[in-house]
Amino acid sequence: MSERPAIAVRDLRKVYGEKAAVDGLTLSVPRGCFFGFLGPNGAGKTTTIRMLLGLAAPTAGEIEMLGLPMPEQALAIKRRIGVVPEESVLFDRLTGAEHLEFAGRMYGLERRVAAVRAGELLGLFELNGQPKKLIADYSKGMRKRLSMAAALIHRPELLLLDEPFEGVDAVGARMMKDLLLDQVRQGVTVFLTSHVMEVVERLCDRVAIIHQGRLVMEGATAELRSGTETLEDAFVRLVGGERSLEKLDWL
Amino acid sequence: MPSRIPAVLWAQWRILWNLRLARGSGGRLVGLALVVVWYGLWTALAASTAVVLADPARREAMGAALPWALLLVFGYWQLTPVFTASLGASLNLTKVLIYPIPERQLFALEVLLRVTTGVEMLLVLGGITLGLLLNPAVPGATVLVAVTVFALLNLLLAAGTRSLLERLVAHKRMREALVFLLVLAVALPQVLAHTGLPRFFASWLAHSPAGLWPWTAAGRVALGASTAADWAVLGAWTLAAYLFGRWQFSRTLRVDAAAAGSAPRPVPRAGAWTDRLYRLPVRLLPDPLAALVEKELRSLFRTPRFRLVFLMGFTFGFLIWVPLWRTESFIFRRAAEDFAVLVSVYALLLLSEVVFWNVFGFDRAAAQLYYSAPARLRTVLAAKNLAAAVVVVLEATMITAACLLLRMPVTAGKILEAYAVLLILSLFLTAAGNLSSLYWARPVDPDHSWGRTSRGRSHALMVLVFPLLSLPVLLAYVARHVFQSQLVFLGGLAVATALGALCYRLALGAAAGLAERQREDLLAVLTAGAGPLA
Repeated sequence: MSERPAIAVRDLRKVYGEKAAVDGLTLSVPRGCFFGFLGPNGAGKTTTIRMLLGLAAPTAGEIEMLGLPMPEQALAIKRRIGVVPEESVLFDRLTGAEHLEFAGRMYGLERRVAAVRAGELLGLFELNGQPKKLIADYSKGMRKRLSMAAALIHRPELLLLDEPFEGVDAVGARMMKDLLLDQVRQGVTVFLTSHVMEVVERLCDRVAIIHQGRLVMEGATAELRSGTETLEDAFVRLVGGERSLEKLDWL
Repeated sequence: MPSRIPAVLWAQWRILWNLRLARGSGGRLVGLALVVVWYGLWTALAASTAVVLADPARREAMGAALPWALLLVFGYWQLTPVFTASLGASLNLTKVLIYPIPERQLFALEVLLRVTTGVEMLLVLGGITLGLLLNPAVPGATVLVAVTVFALLNLLLAAGTRSLLERLVAHKRMREALVFLLVLAVALPQVLAHTGLPRFFASWLAHSPAGLWPWTAAGRVALGASTAADWAVLGAWTLAAYLFGRWQFSRTLRVDAAAAGSAPRPVPRAGAWTDRLYRLPVRLLPDPLAALVEKELRSLFRTPRFRLVFLMGFTFGFLIWVPLWRTESFIFRRAAEDFAVLVSVYALLLLSEVVFWNVFGFDRAAAQLYYSAPARLRTVLAAKNLAAAVVVVLEATMITAACLLLRMPVTAGKILEAYAVLLILSLFLTAAGNLSSLYWARPVDPDHSWGRTSRGRSHALMVLVFPLLSLPVLLAYVARHVFQSQLVFLGGLAVATALGALCYRLALGAAAGLAERQREDLLAVLTAGAGPLA
């Protein structure tokens, strides 16, 4: 059972109206891998994550997470994964500690354990400066850090992170990256989407690139680059983004 | 697996604590007093009901009256929240679905939350239960069973209805149509009072067997006069309500909001009459004023909340006023002459909620842009006010067209009068609205077709201020009535116009200054809050 990949997706398809947001995606994420899932805006990354989480039903295809089928075993899967979704799922009128305690209890931790871990995570993510501050008053970076803390509170085996560093300052982002690398060393699988190629290049063992709902490339990060080409160069080449910079007279 | 229900309820309690109790506010006392008065009245009704039902001498009358009372409870519980656009607390599914919480627990929570839309009815049912328990002629055990099952039926049915509505309103066009129909339905009792029940409906009501309704069965069971059929009917309705509630909730849980909202919005093609309307300011005004007015008009007409009130202005207004006009009442017969003016002012009251009182809250996404763009805030406010004036003129035109279509007794003079009155009132409203938009700015989601766009306190203030702002125009009417002179009336309107223009000029300057000084506070306030229960 442990040999099965952390995420296995076969012929996944999601159609909205007449548009296929995800179109026949087949993907395998090995356990203990730091996996980067890249694509330009509107490529289908968030839709894929929503389907992985069971928040959107696929039009066709199969999803297996941690060896369990989604959505049949949705509860068992959700207990073992941590999520930082693109849209905020924080409750603005709670304090950071209250939200973390809530998240811990929702993942099945005892209240006492959830409260202790909440305090420790707040310290780790440097959010304990103003304990009575409501999430509504948090900056975007603080919200992302709190989301990450909530995703970690139950020690998940798999982390699904949709743009987790967006709005986070350099110090906070560095801490989060180090933490994630440490998690991977401990055997946790990380599935990450990001628009920042340097981040993906530095962190991820494997990378998949999706464009217009289709997988255009998957492989080890080192393999994707050829010669002096950076990941960004490869990405631009693969998604056909080499637009000619036609000069505008007035610009 | 341990229940997640306590965790969700605890989070909601903390949110309410943080929101209402942990921070001081003078308005809280007023809100608390209103709650005490409202529920006090319902408690008094429940107590009266208990006293009446406790009398053994009324046993016979109860047999006839109790099912009707339960029908009213049923109607209030199921329909009133829909008509008042207050569906109570509900699970914010988008935020709790990432957690491993079983569907049955979510449904149990949702059913529990339906209590929030029927607390009044629980009080009444409590009164009924107490009265019947105190009545020696009624067996106590069946009372408790009947009332409990009846309450459960209502909760389950309300959960299903709410889920169904929530799913329907996820589709933008469906949401607007549904909300519009619901709003029109508020006028239904008045229309029925004048036109009577439709024949087929009256016939159906008269011929359907009363014993098949849950309120009749529950009434008989409660009074201990039931047959096996009554128990079967009550059980069948409760089971049906459970299945319906669970089915609808389950479907809502699986609805994909992204899919529901994926239908592309129709964008007017260049040359369409709406596009020409949006382009009109460019022909008449200099930039950046013209660009701002054009942006306002495009945004407003693409906003569901605005479209609803605009549509209501010349439909709901007619539903309200036409039956009154058709009565034999002297006052309303006299008012027929001023019908267009009356409906127009009513429409203005509806429109004011979105185009006058909270213009920055309604346009929160653009607020930062206004501060960073090289345009003066005075120009921004003036553009919003000009767009409002265009909207008011359009509304008046629609009302005029509707009056002519319905062959109402309106003359060209009265139509001109309606336009003049609306524009003068708009001067006062924009003056007050520019200030209230800054003093009581509140973030609003313009995609929500229902719900208030202002805080309760400021909303109440607006209702009070509207007659005050209308005073100069009202005085012109009074002068016409007293002096029986159209000339005096026109003079009164001229004075009102001058006064309105002066107020507008002063308020615009004050509001622009205030907007500059309070930019940080204004931007901070235009952020939203959220909890596990929406």
